[in-house]
Amino acid sequence: MRIVNPSFGISATSAEKVTLKPVNWATDAIALVSNSKPNARELLAGIREKLGATRQIDNIDFLSKNSASQPAPADVLEKVAANYRGALLAIAD
Amino acid sequence: MKDIAEQEVIDIGDMDVEAFNDFAAEQGWSDGMPLYVPTEAKVAKFVDTVRGDNRPYPPVPPRQIVPTLQSMAANAVMAGCKPEYFPVVAAALRGVLDPEYNLHGTLATTHSCAPVVMVSGPIRHELGINCGSNCFGQGWRPNATIGRALGLMLLNIAGAKPGEMDRSTQGNPAKYTFCFGENEEENPWTPYHVQRGFAPSDSVVTVMSGEGPHNLNDHGSTTGDGLLTTFAGSMSTPGANTVYGKGPMLVIIGPEHAATLKRDGFTIESIREELFQRSRVHASRISKENQDTYTSTGHKPDGDWFTIGRSAADIHITVAGGPGKHSAFIPSFGGTTVASVRIAG
Repeated sequence: MRIVNPSFGISATSAEKVTLKPVNWATDAIALVSNSKPNARELLAGIREKLGATRQIDNIDFLSKNSASQPAPADVLEKVAANYRGALLAIAD
Repeated sequence: MKDIAEQEVIDIGDMDVEAFNDFAAEQGWSDGMPLYVPTEAKVAKFVDTVRGDNRPYPPVPPRQIVPTLQSMAANAVMAGCKPEYFPVVAAALRGVLDPEYNLHGTLATTHSCAPVVMVSGPIRHELGINCGSNCFGQGWRPNATIGRALGLMLLNIAGAKPGEMDRSTQGNPAKYTFCFGENEEENPWTPYHVQRGFAPSDSVVTVMSGEGPHNLNDHGSTTGDGLLTTFAGSMSTPGANTVYGKGPMLVIIGPEHAATLKRDGFTIESIREELFQRSRVHASRISKENQDTYTSTGHKPDGDWFTIGRSAADIHITVAGGPGKHSAFIPSFGGTTVASVRIAG
């Protein structure tokens, strides 16, 4: 018996691989991005404080989505891409 | 040899229905209830009902694949739809793919939301969709299976597997199915799809990512004003996402309540305004921590009151159901929209 696969679809994502430059977590600028749920900022603040024990933290910044229920807006993503080499996301819930 | 996920048509050998259901469960295709077998021949009958609607479907998030009519129809077959229901199912998928619907967010959230499907226009009667007594409940095949087909598409095409991509804390029985028809015949105002700019002769499906229906019981009030006091008091709830004030909601008025409101001169617009004003939540009913969160994310109170929704326009109103003194409030996920799509054909 032949059936149609209910999960079949054509992939919309490109097979092209993006080459990432290595991140030096000891010195590079890092974005701490909150999903805007309660306590996400607190979680990130704790990480930033702990990183302060081993590296300079004046180039580690907090960013956030403007809504927990919506995707990150393009300007936030562009800001992260333009200004930081690494990003840590806090998905608090 | 291709992986099963990459094959549009799969030869499963000789399987009876029970064996197919075991196979489907292993593949992760099941919502837990028995499925019909999506044979090529059955699927072809469904696809034939939407020939002529050649608008492409965008990639379906979160999985980001473009479905084929065959794979969409396979889900409708498995749900138990008749072929003639498929144009409604296909239009409902277009609705949840409206970017403002925020399909990824509504499927991945810990909130309990599920797609609420409302059908308007002549197709309600052509398909026998229940718009009257028990319209949110059991007993009508199109109501049961159209909503289920959309749920299966979101599972199998979108990839909303419970506990994996679908992170809902408790879920919601509406994740199995939630489809009903407007009771246009007992609506003393304008049918919902006409409110949205469609012609009365159009058949339209409307989708919103919502909670289950919250009952609005009022047997005692004999005036429209009294009914709105009950409605607003029930909508004024600090535990629904609407208290964030960022999204739409449905108020589905029962025909008897609608007749009273109409008799007392209320219109859709005036009901909306009254409910928006009267359903504000007093700050004393919201924890200090939540007040701080809402305020810091842009939802500032009006004095000591938090509004539900951004404006009265977030309250979408129509009539459904049968005899009895009940109506329903259906809050949404919040960061979503109410999307209406004309059903092709």
